[in-house]
Amino acid sequence: MTGKISRNVFLVGNPNSGKTSLFNAMTGERRRVGNWPGVTVQKLEGIASTELATLTICDLPGTYSLTPATPEEEVVLKTIDEAATGCIVNVVDIANFERNLFLTTQLIELGIKPVVSLNCFDSFTKAGGIVDLQKFSSFTCTTPFPTVARTGEGTRNLVEFIGQNGADNRSDNANWLSLPEIWRNAADQILRLQGLHWESATAAQRYSSLSSLIRMQPGQMSAELIEIRQDLAKKLSEGREKPVKTTDLACELASDRYRRIEKLIAACAIVPGKNIPAWQEKLDRVLTHRFLGLPMFALMMAWVFWTTFSLGEIPMGWMESLVGALSDFVQANMQESLIKELLIGGIISGVGGVIIFVPNILILFFWIAILEDSGYMSRAAFIMDKMMNSIGLHGRAFIPMIMGLGCNVPAVLATRIIDNRFQRLLTMLLIPLVTCAARLPVLVLLCGTFFPDNPSAWMFSLFFVNLLVLVFLGQTTSVIFKTSENSPFLLEMPPYRLPTPSSVFHMLYEKGAHFVEKAGTVILAGAIIIWVLSVFPREVPLSFDYAAEVAELKAQEATDEVAVKIAALDHKRDIELMEGRYMARLGKFIHPVMAPLGFSWRETVSLIPGFLAKESVVSTLSVLYLPYSQNIGDAMRETGMTRLTAFVFMTFTLLYIPCIATLGVMWRESGSTRFTALALVVYFAIAYGVSYVILKIGSALQGSSGMAWFEGMVIITSALFASWYLLKTFIVTISGSKCNSCASSGSCPSSGKSDCSGGCP
Amino acid sequence: MVRTTVSLAELPEGSTATIRDIDSLSPTSQRLLDMGFVPGTSIRAVKKAPMGDPTTFEIRGYQVGLRRSESSLIDVEIMPDDR
Repeated sequence: MTGKISRNVFLVGNPNSGKTSLFNAMTGERRRVGNWPGVTVQKLEGIASTELATLTICDLPGTYSLTPATPEEEVVLKTIDEAATGCIVNVVDIANFERNLFLTTQLIELGIKPVVSLNCFDSFTKAGGIVDLQKFSSFTCTTPFPTVARTGEGTRNLVEFIGQNGADNRSDNANWLSLPEIWRNAADQILRLQGLHWESATAAQRYSSLSSLIRMQPGQMSAELIEIRQDLAKKLSEGREKPVKTTDLACELASDRYRRIEKLIAACAIVPGKNIPAWQEKLDRVLTHRFLGLPMFALMMAWVFWTTFSLGEIPMGWMESLVGALSDFVQANMQESLIKELLIGGIISGVGGVIIFVPNILILFFWIAILEDSGYMSRAAFIMDKMMNSIGLHGRAFIPMIMGLGCNVPAVLATRIIDNRFQRLLTMLLIPLVTCAARLPVLVLLCGTFFPDNPSAWMFSLFFVNLLVLVFLGQTTSVIFKTSENSPFLLEMPPYRLPTPSSVFHMLYEKGAHFVEKAGTVILAGAIIIWVLSVFPREVPLSFDYAAEVAELKAQEATDEVAVKIAALDHKRDIELMEGRYMARLGKFIHPVMAPLGFSWRETVSLIPGFLAKESVVSTLSVLYLPYSQNIGDAMRETGMTRLTAFVFMTFTLLYIPCIATLGVMWRESGSTRFTALALVVYFAIAYGVSYVILKIGSALQGSSGMAWFEGMVIITSALFASWYLLKTFIVTISGSKCNSCASSGSCPSSGKSDCSGGCP
Repeated sequence: MVRTTVSLAELPEGSTATIRDIDSLSPTSQRLLDMGFVPGTSIRAVKKAPMGDPTTFEIRGYQVGLRRSESSLIDVEIMPDDR
């Protein structure tokens, strides 16, 4: 089509204002829509067409203010100049009018003339709210459009308007929300220091001049700037009892903005008092009840967990048999060749390894979509925050962490519900340390093999070691990175809403497709690489001419004895072949690194396929140890492995690296190769360190006394350590750190008393 | 008429107060100001979480949960009638 104009449209607004829903309604292209602050974390773009124009619509991350608090919010400030050349649509949740207009005020102050979408108009009018659009328009010099983004109502008008209306997106017309003269003059003075003027400055330049006026930490400030600030403070102090200090300027500006907003709303609207109706507050009282809140949440989580992993096993079984049937089909119908081996050993099993996760992911995200859209997720985060905060995490991190017990892959995907990028990465880093269900068989097998007398006690101690590492890593990172400072905790409580089927469906579709398409390719590639390592080089120099020997035996009379001999020969050849492959060579190559832990090259080799799936560690070991004995435990003991090294080996297996599927989703979800590589190093280092310490402690103890004594000591010390850590964490978590360490101990009326009930909760 | 100024973290559940002051040195304060925690605004402590922290507050018609580390940055004046 010719003659159409094209425009860039930018959506800005508070988190949870319905920005993403509006984006979907405008573009028709579906995106995740959630009743949860901060769903949009990436730049989303879509196209909307009208008769006259083609609009490229960009959904910017939700933010309460132009002053960024997180890297996502910085995006808004960085694109503001670019956005000012196009069209800015400011999405305002009218049910939360005052706070949403703060961003509008900031935009207008910078000389931007946004198109205002008054969203959630239906619930506003239903609650008794009235707004005079005519007045709103003339008082703010903007064009307001009532919209209901969830249903798409009113969005057509908005799109048509943007398509028709040309370029007057900047306006310095004074209106009720524009910057007062005093402030504008002060900002102009700052701009003049750089040879600029308020009138000609871009929005970003204006913003930076204002932000240096109100900067809270003075830090390094030029003498001129200090003078301008003092001058401004003096002017603001006129006619007041208490003089304004320069450190109060930020507070003054925010107060001034809210005064303008209050005046505007008083003049053109009647707003219902609160966005959460009384009946919902009652519901909240039950759901976040002091005693009932946690059990109810636990029940809900148990239900989600059970359906995801137990119910999920049924379709997983179908998938497995489908993959099995496919590989049998290929086995039966293809000629013996390398391609056939690749198909069976690499591709089919690799694809199987990807789709096996799909049922879990879909079920989990079905519940997550419902919890999120209904608004319960914020309450869950609210309930769990204190506990999660003790290991430096946000309350929202609880759901991914608990899901990690089932499988780490959906758990990593579920970190999407955490809006703060830093917090999301931290959670992602910790998830692989949660012992997933797939690691249990490894533990069961190895413990049963090495400690046949009491395998469960040993499993338990291994489990404890793992938990200890998790808590330790969480606490250390939160101390080093000062997580609480990096991410101020502001958890908005959205009103409860009924989840819409379409929004749930689109979340499932997007999650499933995203996983198969993005993470699936990585997992498949990994599976093929491992396969290549395990079957190449094709020709391995053999110490013995097996083929000739077997042929000779076959030529003889077919007795049982001969059959056994042939089997034994085949077997020996297989082992020799395996030792000659790249995988075993690689294992032998890195063996010196692992030797201090007391591992033989066989253990080292078995760790490589363990990367694909931890179960493979056991199967590889049993093949490698076969020449010594049918029983892998006996074989290992025969070759010099002690129970101590076995324990160390199990610890290492548990911790060393997550499986490739987890790593694949981590890489895709974090979008950062550096982070993924760093995480790998961290896990490896931790596994190595912990294993080494256990080995050293163990051998020191062993030196002085017998095995039973050592056994007892290991269990006791690990249990002591674990309980010490857990106790410490839980005491801080539940009792609220007592008075002496509480933030307001100085002013607390009951400080010094034994209990804190008297006003310092 | 006795007016008591306390930190927002110590505002008892269910009571309403007026914001007096906000710590101007904390980096979190700017965000709190932007979200409407400016002096003179009335604020209500709605509910404490089961483990005692965080607490939801109602301000300017919406509800937001703050941890003690954030709410202790704000000083409020409790209305005598609401005690």
